[in-house]
Amino acid sequence: MTAAQIRFFSLVRREVNRFLKIKRQTVGAPLLETFLYISVFGAALGSRIDKLHGIDYVVFVIPGLIMMSWAINAFSNNSSSILQQKFQRAIDDQLSSPASPLELLLAFSLGGFLRGMIVALLTFAASSLLVDLPVEHVLVLVPALALVGFFFAQVGVLIGVRAEQFDDVSVAQTFVLQPLIFLGGVFYSASLLPEPFQTLTHFNPVYYMINLVRYGFLGYTEANVALSLVLLSLATLALFAVNRHLFVSGYKLRA
Amino acid sequence: MNHASPLALDIGDLVKRYDTGTEALRGVSLDIKAGEFFGLLGPNGAGKSTLIHCATGLAQPTSGTIRIFGHDAISDYEQARLAVGLAPQELNLDWFLTAEETLDYHAGYFGMPKRERRERARELLDTFSLAAKKDDRTRTLSGGMKRRLVLARALMHRPRLLILDEPTAGVDVELRLELWHYVQRINGEGTTILLTTHYLEEAEQLCDRIAFINEGVVVATGTTDELAGEYGVTSLEDAYLGLVGRKELSRAHIGTDVG
Repeated sequence: MTAAQIRFFSLVRREVNRFLKIKRQTVGAPLLETFLYISVFGAALGSRIDKLHGIDYVVFVIPGLIMMSWAINAFSNNSSSILQQKFQRAIDDQLSSPASPLELLLAFSLGGFLRGMIVALLTFAASSLLVDLPVEHVLVLVPALALVGFFFAQVGVLIGVRAEQFDDVSVAQTFVLQPLIFLGGVFYSASLLPEPFQTLTHFNPVYYMINLVRYGFLGYTEANVALSLVLLSLATLALFAVNRHLFVSGYKLRA
Repeated sequence: MNHASPLALDIGDLVKRYDTGTEALRGVSLDIKAGEFFGLLGPNGAGKSTLIHCATGLAQPTSGTIRIFGHDAISDYEQARLAVGLAPQELNLDWFLTAEETLDYHAGYFGMPKRERRERARELLDTFSLAAKKDDRTRTLSGGMKRRLVLARALMHRPRLLILDEPTAGVDVELRLELWHYVQRINGEGTTILLTTHYLEEAEQLCDRIAFINEGVVVATGTTDELAGEYGVTSLEDAYLGLVGRKELSRAHIGTDVG
């Protein structure tokens, strides 16, 4: 390995090591949470709900839950890790190393991305044991989930860098991300909503993400797949560009 | 042609103005020769830590130049930072990591291969009496152990310039002397050292040359004798008191105040 590869691998290893050391909280808790959702919305309520667009309710909900677990974990990992390291000034060890701003950004991004991926994969594996979960379009599903993971990894980095106290992170999660994700249609089909909520949903970026992932699993979507993929890619790139600018300028990282 | 080896640290007209408007450095120029043991003294808030942060990438200079062994700290930061080891004033250890991991990751950030990292970590854990605590999380270490670990971390990648920002603040006598012996030894082996401290006897004992910094400006540079001469006094402490305008506190007056 070259010195640059060792450096980057060490930066990523540190981020992965962090969440694995507290895996009850970072992997166990989100898994349990997802299963509570599946139990309540799928098994308990789902038995009282007719099929949605010809799909069992519990099966309709699971793709959204898998996506949500990747998204929330990618976000919360990166925002907490960066803020905690800023708080202890432990981040100075990375900042005063020869690592470039781009290497630092990618390493912090990958931490949350990988944690989200692990939780999403475990949720998928366990769900597959409980219900018959199809994978209709794997070539849409894989890039869609990866893009969602990377998008929320970037949101996490952005909030973590900007945050000055732990409250800033929880406010972003509770008042912005959770509502967007819940109202994006994880637990229902947006076509069932009355107006103006149905139209309003179309302004929620998470709506397109859920539709892409649901299409990948079930072959059902309410949004244009190609257009959604393009828009999600552009949004992810834009966010990455913003974060890159923050890392290059040293915003709230270097005095 | 002049083939003199580049200076370990060459700072030219360095200005650092924070967003708040505070001007922490107001045109600092300083040069530290390779192999020198250099002391930077000044009262709290004089700009010592800001200067160090500018040299290590933790703060961004407003203007001026910083070269480390000939490498520009801004445009050639990779090479510049490879040459520097920083033991900061605050014990900025990551609570989640063990002592050994702290050293291992740090060396990884500097591109050191795994086997070399292992060997170097073992060597430094032994040197700083931390071997028995290598698997303990940093949060559980005592203050003295954390101080040792911060120093070991700075040394992991074998820096040519070691920056010690108040390394002996609040440590017991044994550790202070242990640190003195160690840094003097590695200085003898060729490592350039920049030390900031509030303990004047420490600077007097260890440093080849000393700079006084006050209100963001280097006001005097020289050996202990040169500085004392400049302030017309006989000790470094009296020279320092001259710098901060508190000559009346001189030990020479103790015992003569009464009456």
